[in-house]
Amino acid sequence: MTVAGKLVPVQAAYDDLLQRSLAKLPGDLSRLIYLASTRDYNSGAYHHDGLAARFRPEAASKALEIAHRDIFYHLAALSLAQLVEELELYLNSSHESPADVLRMWQKLEPFRVAIPVDVNPAMARLFLSNVRLALAIWRHRQEHAQESQ
Amino acid sequence: MTGAPLTLFASFTLLGVLLLMVRGIFAARGANLESDYPPFDNPTNYPACSSEFVARVFSDQDSRYVLTINSPQLAKLFRGERKRVALAWVRQTSASIQCTMLEHKQVSRTSHDLNAAIEFKLLLFYSELMVLCGVLFVAVRAFGPLGLGRLAGYAQAHSERLAHVHQSLKAASSARELPRIGAA
Repeated sequence: MTVAGKLVPVQAAYDDLLQRSLAKLPGDLSRLIYLASTRDYNSGAYHHDGLAARFRPEAASKALEIAHRDIFYHLAALSLAQLVEELELYLNSSHESPADVLRMWQKLEPFRVAIPVDVNPAMARLFLSNVRLALAIWRHRQEHAQESQ
Repeated sequence: MTGAPLTLFASFTLLGVLLLMVRGIFAARGANLESDYPPFDNPTNYPACSSEFVARVFSDQDSRYVLTINSPQLAKLFRGERKRVALAWVRQTSASIQCTMLEHKQVSRTSHDLNAAIEFKLLLFYSELMVLCGVLFVAVRAFGPLGLGRLAGYAQAHSERLAHVHQSLKAASSARELPRIGAA
């Protein structure tokens, strides 16, 4: 198959992923976590049964990888204020209590494994640092709100 | 200022520049010393940092936002975090520049028609960038990244330029070597 022939299914799978799966999620932080969860911890390969059934497994895997990287770079470029908003959206849309999620995120830092492979290390550091700051800011706000009540 | 004082001044200035250059070169050595994710193994394996990244880390936009929250602890946390990110970027930039020069040295060794003037200019350019990395490293460590945006932007743009010049020279050298190989 030609390079163009290979690229078309990846583009189609990418568009499908954006429209069907990612559009339903509230905010890019949710999308990042979701995409990271489709990645195998051991092989680093991405899997999505529905996408692989509609397209080829390789095209689906590549589309997931590209989407993961795109959303990561978008989040890493956000200002701290915008990232706090993203975090707020994520915490409020979670099925768990926002306070519990916040505590676990500060303790375990699960967002560290949400970073795609082979992104610029300085960008990855900025993202991790900004999430830590956003968590601290959100916590500070919650504590302040409780004190004023 | 004439005679001995001028010589002394010039010597100290030169020594200062040399020390900054050494600092810039050694900045890359710490690229993997931090435990923070991810390890930085080979600078050429990663896409370059965007200019927006440099603008974000070295600008005061986020700092002003944190100050509006009015919490000394958060402000302290922010200063520490940003300093670490900025230092990681200086280390990464220094490592990338050195990697480019190392590769250029390897290409130059096998090249049959070296242009001494271009090589000298590249060496000067490399030295300037290492001094710049040294200045940035010392300044970020001492005062944090805020207010160093223009210097960091300059280092970022010129490290990219160095990589571009090296790639152009490498391509030109390969093109010249091909007929030789064919003739042999």
